[in-house]
Amino acid sequence: MVRYVARKAIGWLVMIVVATNATYFLANWFLDPRSNYRELRPVRTDEQIAHALAPYGLSPSWSIVHRWWYWLCDILFRFDWGHSPTGVPVNSEIPQRVLVSGQLILLGTVASVVIGVALGVYTASRQYSAVDRAGQAVSVVLLNIPTAVSALALVLGAVWLNQLAGTTVLHVAGANTPGVDGTWHTILDRADHLVLPTLNLTLLGYVSWHLTQRTLLLDTLNAEFVRTARATGLTRAQAIRRHALRASLIPTATSVAFSIPAVFTGAIITEWVFGWEGMGRYFTETISQNNVDGVAAVAAFGAVATAVGAILSDVATVALDPRVRAS
Amino acid sequence: MTATLPVPLDETHVPPPIRLGRSRLYARRFTRNRSAVAGMVIFLVLVGYATIGGHLTSWSWSEQDFLALTQPPGGSHWFGTSQGGNDVLAQSVHGLQRSLVIALSVSVLTTVISAVVGAGAAYLGGVVERGTLMVIHFLLVVPSFLILALVSNRVSGDWRILILLLTLFGWMFTARVIWSVSTSLRERDYVLLAEFMGVSRWRIVVRHIIPHLGGLLIVNLTLGVVTTVLSETSLSFLGFGVKLPDVSLGSLLADGSATINSAPWLFAVPAGLLVLLTISLTLIGDGLRDALDPTSMAGGRG
Repeated sequence: MVRYVARKAIGWLVMIVVATNATYFLANWFLDPRSNYRELRPVRTDEQIAHALAPYGLSPSWSIVHRWWYWLCDILFRFDWGHSPTGVPVNSEIPQRVLVSGQLILLGTVASVVIGVALGVYTASRQYSAVDRAGQAVSVVLLNIPTAVSALALVLGAVWLNQLAGTTVLHVAGANTPGVDGTWHTILDRADHLVLPTLNLTLLGYVSWHLTQRTLLLDTLNAEFVRTARATGLTRAQAIRRHALRASLIPTATSVAFSIPAVFTGAIITEWVFGWEGMGRYFTETISQNNVDGVAAVAAFGAVATAVGAILSDVATVALDPRVRAS
Repeated sequence: MTATLPVPLDETHVPPPIRLGRSRLYARRFTRNRSAVAGMVIFLVLVGYATIGGHLTSWSWSEQDFLALTQPPGGSHWFGTSQGGNDVLAQSVHGLQRSLVIALSVSVLTTVISAVVGAGAAYLGGVVERGTLMVIHFLLVVPSFLILALVSNRVSGDWRILILLLTLFGWMFTARVIWSVSTSLRERDYVLLAEFMGVSRWRIVVRHIIPHLGGLLIVNLTLGVVTTVLSETSLSFLGFGVKLPDVSLGSLLADGSATINSAPWLFAVPAGLLVLLTISLTLIGDGLRDALDPTSMAGGRG
């Protein structure tokens, strides 16, 4: 098992290194850190700009290979992921942003999976009933709503609710209100800010779990081992719970692990609309502010998240499915 | 999934199935599916709106009415005006056109590429197959949304380049599906027969294997339009896709998001069009999937 995981991990490590370096070169090709200084007044000369960028390893007078080597050595020997063109270290930005995104994504994923799987199981055991049809219809609609539309619709609804109540019931922007102290007040304030973005991630996220879990359970309901279980005298509900459900949860469990990096992309727009300073927000900021090092770091983070998700899902398959053996 | 077979009890009383041409059979199965027909009607209305909707207003999408800034719907501006005084109806027609053209061309291009690459790799096998799969897996790992945003941000919103980019990063997943389906097709008798008759390898791929995947490809084409609309909207919404002075539904949505409380119609019009577009296409795709299903028994009689 350990050797199996280690072999997979080495393969993924190679992929991560290649993807990160490729992104670094692409970012250098398409982003120009000099333009951050061109808008400044009084107008800077090219020498002045190059001088300002030199301490961050972004000097345009260096060749691309030279800059890449500087960037790579900093990461390898000091784990320093570089600086933005204006000198903000990437290392100071990422950890807090990962925490901000993490609480949002974790909550959203857990809620989506729980609601989706529960609905899937409920509707699959009542196929073609009114509940099943209604659930399908709602899912088709939700599956096709762009994230931006649903997030903005939630904002509109919350603002309407706040006006109706005459006070701020739900916060529509940010992760917390500045100037709130006291343990209880902080927790309540954070929770209140979490409601809308989590609701958005859950509304769009639960749908695919619902549809896949429904299909998976429907496929196993007619399997021979479930019929055997019924023949031994179990009721239909018992047979579903003890035999069909367990078998059909294996693929779900493996794809839960795989879904975490995918939510990462979905959260870009949610974070943007609700004003959360997380990784998704950092993604858009690094690109619009010509932050070459930041873009490479975001790519590396995304690749690591994908790899961890994939390895976790492999481990989950081996651990849960008795038919699969690690070799 | 179990297909219910007709019970062969009293075969004398069952009228013989009417022989329909294949296209008529598909059309009949499709039109019997009410939600698919509803989707088709909505989609055709949207296409009509995108082509001739511009005549509903005397304003052009790029023209500014400085006497009516941020005006609510009514008067000479049916859907109101934006902060710059642009007529929202004219802009939404133009934006819908942009989004439709981008989504349709990307979907057609990715379907063609993934069909040729997937089926080609499966049939040719060997080094070609291994190499193609490696490229596909690598492209699935690279942060494609990031690279997409990076590149399209630089080319400053030219929709033709956006089509190329979305195609470049959109074909891998379908290609992998088609590859796995085609691996079983290459062993079929009619493929062997074609080989014995001396048909060239590429001709077998194009004339014998790809047509067999027709249903899968058509469904992928429809659902690919939905995926492209969604990713184009995300890119343009974040400001990395279609940019001013051009507009698409995503960039209109971004404009509307800034004034969502004071001018909700700026958000409602593009949002409504987007949701109608994606839902109608999904309904059509699901209807086509059922109609083209070779194991389906529906539509044979009556």
